[in-house]
Amino acid sequence: METRETFAGLSTWQIALWYTLIVISTSIFAWGAGRLVIKYMRGRGSFPVDRPLHRAGRTAWIVFTHAWIKRRDGVAGLAHAMIFYGFVVLFIGTGILAFQDDFAEPILGWDFWQGTFYLVYSLFLDVFGAFLIIGLVILGVKRARKPKRLDYTRVDGVTSRYARWHYEVGDWAFVGSLLFLGVTGFFLEALRIAETDPSFEKWSPVGWVVGQGLIAIGVDGETASAAHFRSWWVHGVAALTFVAAIPFTKAVHMMAAPASVATRNDRAGKELVGLPPNARPEEVGYGVVTDMTPAHLLQLDACTKCGKCHEACPATASGYPLSPRDLVLDLREQSEGALGIRGWLTVPPLFHSDENLLGNPIKPETVWSCMQCMACVEICPVGIEHVPIINNLRRRLVDKGEMDSLLQTTLETIYESGNSFGEPKRKRGRWAKELDFEVKDARKEPVDVLWFVGDFASLDPRNIRVTQALARILHHAGVDFGILYEGERNAGNDVRRAGEEGLFTDLAESNIEAISACEFNRILTSDPHSFNTLKNEYPALGGSWDVVHHSQFLLELFQSGVLTAGKRLGRRVTYHDPCTLGRYNGVYDEPRALIAATGCELVEMQRVRDNSFCCGAGGGRIWMSELKAPDAPRPSESRMHEATALDRVSTFVVCCPKDVTMYEDAVKTSGHEGEIEVRELTELVLESLDLEPVALAAAAD
Amino acid sequence: MSVLVVAEHLRGQIRDVTRELITAARELGQVTVAAIGQDPGSLVDAVNIDGVAEIVTVTIGAGEFENDAYQAAVEALIADRKPRVTLLGFTVNSMGYGPAAAVKLGLGFASDVHGVALEGDAVIATRSFYGSKVSAELDFPGVDGVMLLLRPTVWAPAEGRGSASVSSLEVTAPASRARHRELVEASTSSDVDITQADFLLSIGRGIGDKENVEMFKELAAKMGATLSVSRPLVDAGWMPSSRQVGQSGKTVKPSVYLAFGISGAVQHLAGMKASGTIIAVNTDPEAAIFNVAQYGAKADLFDVAEELEKLY
Amino acid sequence: MKTVVCIKQVLQLGDEVEFTDDGLDVDPDYLDPALNEWDSFATEEALQLRERLGGEVVLVTCGSKASEAALRRCLAMGADRAIRIEGVDRDPFSVARALAEVVSAENADLVLCGVQSSDAVQAATGTALAELLDLPRAAVVTKVEYDAGARTAVVDRELEGGLVDRVEIDTPAVLTIQTGINEPRYANLRAIKQAEQVEIDVRNAAGGGVPAYRVRKMFVPDRGEGAEMIGGSPAEIAARIASIVKERLA
Repeated sequence: METRETFAGLSTWQIALWYTLIVISTSIFAWGAGRLVIKYMRGRGSFPVDRPLHRAGRTAWIVFTHAWIKRRDGVAGLAHAMIFYGFVVLFIGTGILAFQDDFAEPILGWDFWQGTFYLVYSLFLDVFGAFLIIGLVILGVKRARKPKRLDYTRVDGVTSRYARWHYEVGDWAFVGSLLFLGVTGFFLEALRIAETDPSFEKWSPVGWVVGQGLIAIGVDGETASAAHFRSWWVHGVAALTFVAAIPFTKAVHMMAAPASVATRNDRAGKELVGLPPNARPEEVGYGVVTDMTPAHLLQLDACTKCGKCHEACPATASGYPLSPRDLVLDLREQSEGALGIRGWLTVPPLFHSDENLLGNPIKPETVWSCMQCMACVEICPVGIEHVPIINNLRRRLVDKGEMDSLLQTTLETIYESGNSFGEPKRKRGRWAKELDFEVKDARKEPVDVLWFVGDFASLDPRNIRVTQALARILHHAGVDFGILYEGERNAGNDVRRAGEEGLFTDLAESNIEAISACEFNRILTSDPHSFNTLKNEYPALGGSWDVVHHSQFLLELFQSGVLTAGKRLGRRVTYHDPCTLGRYNGVYDEPRALIAATGCELVEMQRVRDNSFCCGAGGGRIWMSELKAPDAPRPSESRMHEATALDRVSTFVVCCPKDVTMYEDAVKTSGHEGEIEVRELTELVLESLDLEPVALAAAAD
Repeated sequence: MSVLVVAEHLRGQIRDVTRELITAARELGQVTVAAIGQDPGSLVDAVNIDGVAEIVTVTIGAGEFENDAYQAAVEALIADRKPRVTLLGFTVNSMGYGPAAAVKLGLGFASDVHGVALEGDAVIATRSFYGSKVSAELDFPGVDGVMLLLRPTVWAPAEGRGSASVSSLEVTAPASRARHRELVEASTSSDVDITQADFLLSIGRGIGDKENVEMFKELAAKMGATLSVSRPLVDAGWMPSSRQVGQSGKTVKPSVYLAFGISGAVQHLAGMKASGTIIAVNTDPEAAIFNVAQYGAKADLFDVAEELEKLY
Repeated sequence: MKTVVCIKQVLQLGDEVEFTDDGLDVDPDYLDPALNEWDSFATEEALQLRERLGGEVVLVTCGSKASEAALRRCLAMGADRAIRIEGVDRDPFSVARALAEVVSAENADLVLCGVQSSDAVQAATGTALAELLDLPRAAVVTKVEYDAGARTAVVDRELEGGLVDRVEIDTPAVLTIQTGINEPRYANLRAIKQAEQVEIDVRNAAGGGVPAYRVRKMFVPDRGEGAEMIGGSPAEIAARIASIVKERLA
């Protein structure tokens, strides 16, 4: 019968020693894992447990399909899958064996580990063991080639208490130890096969081939037996050491990453979590490590330093003192040094749990460098919520008044005037008075579509031209629409992302009150920032409506035949996905369809859709002093280089007022003036409708 | 109609505003000028200007301005001469005692006045409200006298040798509760002297961000201009006070004053409106600076600055 | 150490204006309220004194219920309590008389006012208040060194032309605070909302006394010649400016 003896050649006391070692190893593992859970529970609040089935199902899907891991690096994804499934199969195989040896056979008298089952079992483990090794080799080679995203040099130049070379050692130790386990496992198998050379062991193809090799070089049965005995202990002790080390090393991600994915907030970033009612100062955002939620603390440990966020971050790319990866690692060091195993064992560097998260080594500028564009959150394979974490760090700073004076002035201005320009309230609807038709006041009469215009679109002279173009299109299409005039205030999306939660609530509540007093069917926004907060964040404050972005709305008008292009524009254009429309809300196709409807040819840039590159204005950055490295191009300038490198593209199409401002500036400052022009989608649509030129006499001068 | 003018002086020198007050006063009636100081006699010559009927000297203990002493002196002068109108400059010193004397004596009062007229016996003062965007005519019913603090640089300084009679008034001033210690030059840096520049490029709050200062510094360098600023940029710590144009900064008279993003607060205008040619670029078409500028443009500052840079 | 800070909610006019029917003021629809800029510096100065010396910061304003927004902003900055006086004319003497009644009862060690308000620019209320309280005063202060033991303060007064007059003043005193003396802290909205729960002590003005002036007409000033406006694109504007500059400097 095809099988093998599990403890071949081991005496009773050796078997007893082995079981003792297993108990020690698993005890260390359990203690470490328990310390981790204790660390997370020291955070504020509790782990989310809502919709457990959904969470479990989603986590299983993400983990088993590698849907997140494989993105933007298929090779690494495949290699990781080989390691993952190799490890899983070997782990299950070991489990089956333990079940047979320690339970089924001695207690039930059921011996199933033989015959066909044994052969298939052997084949499975051998093939997946080989996958494990191949995967490890691929990742080892990738790592050895030192790609930029695996360079752990800090971007902010700060000397931290925790040296980064530890990470490199840890990475290699992790890859190396798994590789060692895989290789010694096969060697062990080969020695066993070389000992007696049973023919059915062809079902362990890798072990069999190596075994035949050993026989060919003259290893006889006795030598093999002796070597097998020694190797068995080496492999076994190494495996038990690995298990014991999981909670303390990079291997922790094997548990922390799935747990992080499972407890993550699906709406992280696009709907920030509000403050508790009547929050005390210490409840506002994150000041010390115990302010963080258990889920955020867990996420820190889930990070594998894969560098995808580091690579995607526009701030990192533009020489700002921020890398999402560095921030996560710094916070991890602090939580680990204050609350974790390292803290418990008093292994330096230690942090105090009352120590400010900011100051050492994380600089406030790091937190202010973020554009809250979600590029990091979107690409993170383990579900880390960098954007909400940064937002919480900002909230504490804003609450203490520790911020850029320009941002402070802007927030004061928004509070007092309701807009970031400090313009009188009356001026908000002035653009409408310059049109040759009347724009309804939705506060005074019912409308089908309530248009929430937004600050930039209402008050910035360049964007007013776009706003008037949209009004003209709506008028032409016979849409029954109206605006709130001075009843509208800044929507608060970026105020919230800058960390001024109280002002956001104030703005949202007054807008909700103004909107609720109107009679309408749906809300149109011409600003993706307003779109996001109205759609995703106002509902929590009592304002749930059907909210649509103007690219979606205009496309509907085309699709329903209300609008038809009078002329095909025939331009070669490229399109920039605004963060708050694309990554935040998944609106990628409508603007592209609209571009097609105007008869333009779309040439895509390299970084599109979910990988779109922020213009640099988001998260309130447009209201702060510059923090980037002096010689680095601004994000918007880097984008302009990317666009102008495309073949014969005349027009850079955007559909966000801030993009109009940012990119029109960038065309000039990046030295591409005359090569490309910035157009808002609405302007293209208006041009394609072939109406009479807009009467903008009053606005143009 | 009797008018009392209080001469203002610093370090023994009569300040320009005094001669401007005399111009305003002689349009109203008979002018008495008060010279208050440790040695008021030394000031008499400087205020003996055409149109001044009388000069009254009041000797006080303080070497430089002290508001308790000035208030006592002016109250005594008003009690003694009973002027219908008392004119002071709208200056930091006058702010320290003028309103106090007026409220104590029950006078009508207005400051930052830029127009004074008589309608019969009634004094009508014109001043601005709401960021100088509107003006108002004020009258003063139910009072015997009026104290007005006149905006500097509105009236031309009075010229011409006068033949005023000189007298003195004994005033026993109480002990000062706020005692002058020393005068300190706020800006002792070795920075450029903007008052000597023939061409100033001046920037204000409209530039928005500290990092934009650099851009205008470069533009100024290219155009051969000296960079100056309005008060908010100094308050924000973006530029040293030695570069500040305005009442609390320097008074400048360059041949060309090119202003970017300066809306034109009264205090700023006072420091630059005597410039040869004023050109202002601002996004607000109602900015007060357009009232004193010969040329104006309502445009994006940065666009214009960039275009200008290309021309130099 | 008790410091009273007198603040004002100012009204800001945009670039459109309509007057009330009687023509004596701007139509309130065209005015947006805001905390007077100088007063945020005065409040900050008081808070810094409290941080050094302990004590209390008390706010006083004259105005309608709406002006409580300005008080709440200063409360959110950290002031301890606030008093609002109703029914006061807007001229500086009426305001000073109303303030004097309330402030004298507070027996403060220092009274701080802004130099002036941005909507009226009289620079008179603080000095008039000092007179009515019979307190020493200093106007346009850019630095305060308070000596609690000696009951004096050394203050810098910012004169014209960048000159500073250093004055030793007996306290209690009234100081009018100039912008730039400090960096006013941010009043976050969480604090402002919590300040909404603070009860504001509302008093009625006793009235009496002749106002400083009476507005008999308000109007948009004749701009006279005004500036010759240069139109066109930024490039055209720049070209014209360059030619004017060249011509004038020639």
